[in-house]
Amino acid sequence: MRAFDFYAAKDASDAVALLAQHGPRVKVLAGGTDLLADLKFSAASHHPQVVVDISRADDLRGIQMTDQGLRIGALVTHTEIMDSPIIREQLPALVDAAHTIGAVQTRNLGTLGGNLVTAVPSMDSGPTLVALDAIVTVAGPEGKRQMPISQFWIGPRKTVLKTSEILVDIIIPKENVGKPTHFLKFGLRKGQALALVNVAASFHVDGNTFKAPRIGLGAVAPTVIHATSAESFLEGKPITPENMAEGKAAVNDAKPINDFRASAGYRRDLIAVLTRRALEGAYELHMKRKAK
Amino acid sequence: MVRVSLTINGEKRTAEVPPETTLLKMLRETFNLTGAKLGCDVGDCGACTVIVDGKLLNSCLMLAGQVDGRDVLTIEGLATVDDLHPIQKVFEEKGSLQCGFCGPGVILSAKWLLDQNPAPSVPEIRDALAGNLCRCTGYTKMIEAIQTIARERADSVA
Repeated sequence: MRAFDFYAAKDASDAVALLAQHGPRVKVLAGGTDLLADLKFSAASHHPQVVVDISRADDLRGIQMTDQGLRIGALVTHTEIMDSPIIREQLPALVDAAHTIGAVQTRNLGTLGGNLVTAVPSMDSGPTLVALDAIVTVAGPEGKRQMPISQFWIGPRKTVLKTSEILVDIIIPKENVGKPTHFLKFGLRKGQALALVNVAASFHVDGNTFKAPRIGLGAVAPTVIHATSAESFLEGKPITPENMAEGKAAVNDAKPINDFRASAGYRRDLIAVLTRRALEGAYELHMKRKAK
Repeated sequence: MVRVSLTINGEKRTAEVPPETTLLKMLRETFNLTGAKLGCDVGDCGACTVIVDGKLLNSCLMLAGQVDGRDVLTIEGLATVDDLHPIQKVFEEKGSLQCGFCGPGVILSAKWLLDQNPAPSVPEIRDALAGNLCRCTGYTKMIEAIQTIARERADSVA
């Protein structure tokens, strides 16, 4: 690895100060699962002069209910999400998504915030958070700002974060904590696979109709996206097998690519099937809870 | 340079290393603990697996500066050549390893799994080993060994 200077931030504001002081050739180290691989193997032009370690900033940890909703600190690891009683109970789709990431070792290191900041289109944390209309909080020298998560990414490996800004937390709005949601990933093998397509579907059940249906799609566009055509088709419609199958309208929102993992056509077929199954899964969760 | 004080296999150790030193490199080159192996160096293969503060992780993905004050367990802390850990004994009896390069990581993953879950199912064992690539064995005998250890422990408690 090429040489760099190393600073450990005590908390979020210390991290922001260190970034402002040492930018622009500075990188933030959280779980390290992406950054360390980059530091070892990326082009010299991308190499930072300074690495700011935020892994000890305890104010970026923790999972708790706040007035705004369920707050997940940016440094919460994938394992911590899988083990969180409130998430297991209220939002098992987030547990399923976390479980498909890497393996035990990388889930113990890798953080939710890191997964989002890396902004790889196939990230497995993305679709569920998009489907839940999650809000992200960003901190910088001028203070904090919040935005819907779908506005956080601007392209593959690109976010709105400026050099001296960090992601602080991810908030699932109160009305969506407990919203029936289901996540599915299709990879070429079970262990440590990248998603060819990943999908999360979420909706409230109003009588027997879809209320606020949301579908998040990953690996089929430059960023994780809302399948807005499918969402607007489903809004207010009766919850029937036929309408769930019409979730395939999500294909219209995607721009999948051909690569060595799969063709664009195959990815489109996957979107149709996985969207239907994700809608069915969310409904099953609703029925299971109702039966209790 | 970064100054690091930590506990490795129960002993207090200190080192001064360049900031870009990984935990793996420090273990191998500063402390001569060569049980953890350098494989892919990007967190795919698990040959560098160690346990830090009770968490199974890839030592190639941590900087030495991040483990200041922490407690690290490597395969050398589990046993000596003359006095193998029970997991290692069963792996030996069953012939669960061939070339052995993945072994230190696999055995630490097995220990971590059994510490959390004394009676793991086959899918749970496969999940726990998903981050340890073995290109010799096909994993079957590793899975059998872990099941055997779980059964032996259950019998000894009963």
